[in-house]
This record gives sequence, C-alpha cells and structure tokens, in this order.
Amino acid sequence: MTLSRREFGAIIFYHRNFIQNEKLKKYIDLLKNRLNAKEEIYLENARLKNLLSFRQKSSYRLIAARVIARSADSWSSSVIIDKGKRNGIKRQMAVITYLGLAGRVTDTQEFTSKILLISDPNLGVSAIVQRSRQEGLVSGTLGSHLIMKYLPEESDIRIGDVIITSGLNQTYPKGLLIGTVVGIGREFSGLSRYAIIKPAVNPSNIEEVLIIIS
Amino acid sequence: MKNWIFFLIIIVLGMLQVTILNYFKIFGVGPDLLLISVVIASLFFEFKWAFVLSVFAGLFKDIFGANIFGINTLLFPLWSFLIVRLNKEITIDYNFIRIALVFIVSLLHNTITGLILIYSGNLIPLGLFLRIVSLQSIYTALVLPLILWIGQRLLIY
Repeated sequence: MTLSRREFGAIIFYHRNFIQNEKLKKYIDLLKNRLNAKEEIYLENARLKNLLSFRQKSSYRLIAARVIARSADSWSSSVIIDKGKRNGIKRQMAVITYLGLAGRVTDTQEFTSKILLISDPNLGVSAIVQRSRQEGLVSGTLGSHLIMKYLPEESDIRIGDVIITSGLNQTYPKGLLIGTVVGIGREFSGLSRYAIIKPAVNPSNIEEVLIIIS
Repeated sequence: MKNWIFFLIIIVLGMLQVTILNYFKIFGVGPDLLLISVVIASLFFEFKWAFVLSVFAGLFKDIFGANIFGINTLLFPLWSFLIVRLNKEITIDYNFIRIALVFIVSLLHNTITGLILIYSGNLIPLGLFLRIVSLQSIYTALVLPLILWIGQRLLIY
C-alpha cells in the first residue's frame, strides 16, 4: 500500500520533485565548494601552526612571508615573496621553512623579494654530512633532487645520511637541515664522488617561508 | 579592441606561467606560454602591434625571471619581426606548420638564452642545458593548439 502510494505520488508530483531535485543538486555543488574552501583553510592553518611553532622555538630572528609568484622561465628555480625592504629583508639572507633550508634572498624591492631556491644550480651551499662531518658543496639540479659535489674518493658518506649546512658560508647558519642522501656516485674524472640528496623542503610546493634576519 | 583583449590574454598567460603552471612541469620543465603568445601575435596582428605585444610579453617574463634582465625583452621582438617576415614569404595557415614554427622558435630562444646564461657565468651543466632546450621546445609546441583554441574562442566573443 505504502509502496504503491509512493509511486503514485511520484507520478503525480513529478514536476515538483524534478524542481526540488535540481535545487538540491545546486545546493550540493555549493556545499562541495564550501567544503573545499574549508579543507584549504584547514591545510593552511596546519602549515602556519608548524611555522609559528618553529618560529617560537627557533633561536633566529625570523620573518614569515608568503610565496606570491614563481619563476617564469625554466632556467632558474625561484619564487617571489610578499615581504621586502620595508620588512627588513636584505639580499643574501637565508630562507628556511620549518622543514629545513629553502634558499637565499637574491633581490629585494620595497614590498617583495626574489628567493633563489635550493633546487637552482647557481645556489651553492657549503654542507657537511651530520654523522661523519664530511664537507661538500650542495647545489640544485632544477629537478626534485640536489647534488653534493667535491666529495673525496675516501669520503665517509652513506645512503640515508643527513646533510646539514656547515656554517662556513656566512649566509647560512650552521646546522640547517638540507636533506638526506639517496644515492652516491663517482664523478666522470674518477677523482671525486658525488651524492644525490632528497631535499627536506620540496621546492616545487613551497607556500610560506621564513627569512632569517639575524 | 582585439589588440587590447590580446594584452589581457598575455597577462593571463603570464600569470598562469608564474603560478599554477609550476604544477604541470615535466622533468622540471614547463611550456613557455608567453613565447606562444608572441608567435600568435606575430601571426595574427600587424607588425606594429605584434612588436608592442612581444615587448610587453618579454618584459613580463623578465620581471618574473631570476636571470639577466632584458634577454626576453630583446629576443621576443626579434622573433616577432622574423615571424612577420616569414609570414609574408610563406603561408602559415595549418596548425601543424604553426606547431613546427613554435618548436623552432622555442628551440632557438632556449638555445640563445642558455648560451647567454652560460657565458655570463651561470652554472648550467650540459645535461640540464639539453633537457631544458629540447623538452621545453617540444612541450611549448604541443601546448600551442590548446592556446590557439582558447584564444580563438575568446576573440570570437
């Protein structure tokens, strides 16, 4: 009885149900959009919480900035941030995230600055292997990995070793995490070795950074 | 009116190139939408406007690049001039010819840019140089039909 009544009602009120269905579909789309926006806010909140907690714990004086644009060409890996000279940012300052080293300030304007990321081949960072204190020079490859060069043939380096900044270059304070070794190879000349490093900071999805002021 | 719409298109393509296009990179290389806009402008506009549009696109790319300022501002109008001259000599009506043209222009542009960067002291290993020059030229050429389709739709309306 109930089933036949329901089916009969559906036929009689077909038009009303159709309109209601359309309205509900639109409402679902609206809710989906709102849910996406909330998800984005939730993720941003998590990232900012990490940055804030790192900033409070850190012994450095830091300025937080947001990435507003990325390099327009494929020859370099850089980003533009929303803080500049007005905020006390100067050239050559080190840029980090709560995960580790991100790059260096190469140019500053009043309200924006250009950051050369660690994945750029022109950014050389003096680094050491945390376990064995072996020194080397880390530079980018414009890809997802970094390369640590000028390692002597007998250097003590293994896959899984952590690479940090050596502090020999005044730009980067000692002990900033760069990444972990994922591969080791021999240079073409046979005189030295190199290590492939997976960076702690993924340069392709940086959204917020911290600039070390002092 | 069309010229001003194309200015807006260049701005939109430029904004895409410095923002979301980074998520579509293959082996660290993305398509050069601004170079595509220069080729399209040179094919569909008179030289005076194509020149202005290419200088604008070049400036845009230089502002957002981390390399020597002015390379694109100088090279883009040069490509524009050469394409306009070529367009007078041969017919460039078919899409596959346009794709080939973008590929050649992109190849030349990337080779010259790379060589300028190397000679100005930038560290670019040979493997990286070849990867950027070849992959970006192919990627840029393959994206052209999509940009042409979108551009045509916009200009019709």
